[in-house]
Amino acid sequence: MTIEEIKEFIRLVTESGVDELEVQRGDSRVRIRRSPPPAPQTVVAEFPAQRGANNTPPAAAVNPAAPAAEEAEAEAAGSLVIVKSPIVGTFYESPSPGASPFVQIGDTVQPGQVLCIIESMKLMNEIEAEVAGVVMKRFVENAQPVEYGEALFGIRPL
Amino acid sequence: MISLDLERVRAACPERLILWRETTGSTMTEAARLAAEGCPSGTVVGADEQTAGQGRLGRSWHSEKATGLYVSIVLRLPLEPVGLPVLTLALGLAAAEAITRVTGIPCDLRWPNDVLVGGKKCAGILVQLLDQGAVVAGIGINVNQTRFPPELEPIATSLRLATGREYSREPLLIALLAAVDSFVKILLDEGPETILRLFSQASSYVVNRRVAVDQGERTLTGVTEGLDPSGFLILRREDGTRTLIVAGGVRPLPE
Repeated sequence: MTIEEIKEFIRLVTESGVDELEVQRGDSRVRIRRSPPPAPQTVVAEFPAQRGANNTPPAAAVNPAAPAAEEAEAEAAGSLVIVKSPIVGTFYESPSPGASPFVQIGDTVQPGQVLCIIESMKLMNEIEAEVAGVVMKRFVENAQPVEYGEALFGIRPL
Repeated sequence: MISLDLERVRAACPERLILWRETTGSTMTEAARLAAEGCPSGTVVGADEQTAGQGRLGRSWHSEKATGLYVSIVLRLPLEPVGLPVLTLALGLAAAEAITRVTGIPCDLRWPNDVLVGGKKCAGILVQLLDQGAVVAGIGINVNQTRFPPELEPIATSLRLATGREYSREPLLIALLAAVDSFVKILLDEGPETILRLFSQASSYVVNRRVAVDQGERTLTGVTEGLDPSGFLILRREDGTRTLIVAGGVRPLPE
């Protein structure tokens, strides 16, 4: 079963309104269960900069958050462990500009292994894997802003 | 080289655990290790010399032997990660206050926490968030340097270069630890609003300052328009849009 197929099942569950869907094909089986929708993120709305004269949202705060979060929920249903940002900040894939990323898609990671850095006003936060698994998804580009609770990585537990 | 007189510092703050090394890779690494072992909040690791002093994002901190003050302080604060970034502003205020108290020179603060004297950086602060909510605050103050490597010369200064006189590091460290305690207490007792207000008063960078912000893959330019409630810097760009700066190196542009 491919990720694409799993995504299709998630879409099916979302659109049909059923609470649970279980599909078996050969050796692989997937169960998708609907969970209560996440609380809306209010962080963005609190920024006074956004209430500026021309109502243009600050580029640093808004753009990547919404689609990534939706996708994150979908992936979560597909048994990926989603690593989320504990603070508002800037996402860095490597310890310094130009250095190799901490992790790449397909890498196997161990609990405690550093996945990325989130910087907020010179507070450096190394984000670590909480489970052993394979990095299946990365939701954020290097040096991009992230919101509180925004999905950073999807890890398939081993 | 004259080593730091640790007994003098310990006598001034007898309650505090202070470790001092003649030389170490980075006080950040040592402090993080002590924090993982469960050392109390307020524990200090300092060194006369760092061979791998850390700056932001893999940059180094120039740590010439015995001419600067290089310390890392472990703090365990009852704050959620979301409430911690404003701590970096409080630490900038603390470093500036300690410098002014000891030398009498006025300091400026460049968001988020570079301490400037005469427009040049004389102290830098980096904070590392560790597991279990502990943080390590690394503070480097240029004290008695008489020169810097050519690449730092235009942007760095020391207390000695700024005033023409030498300073002992001990009174500066004692003042720094007291100031860190006092600004952390303000943050915890009065909340981030007070820190933001004090920072806005102390910094010429918070409003009406034309700056460039280095964000790694892009550089934004504009005029500063104050801090948002989290302490992030509001930048009004040339096209009139506002961008919230959550991280990045700020440097002045000609008006």
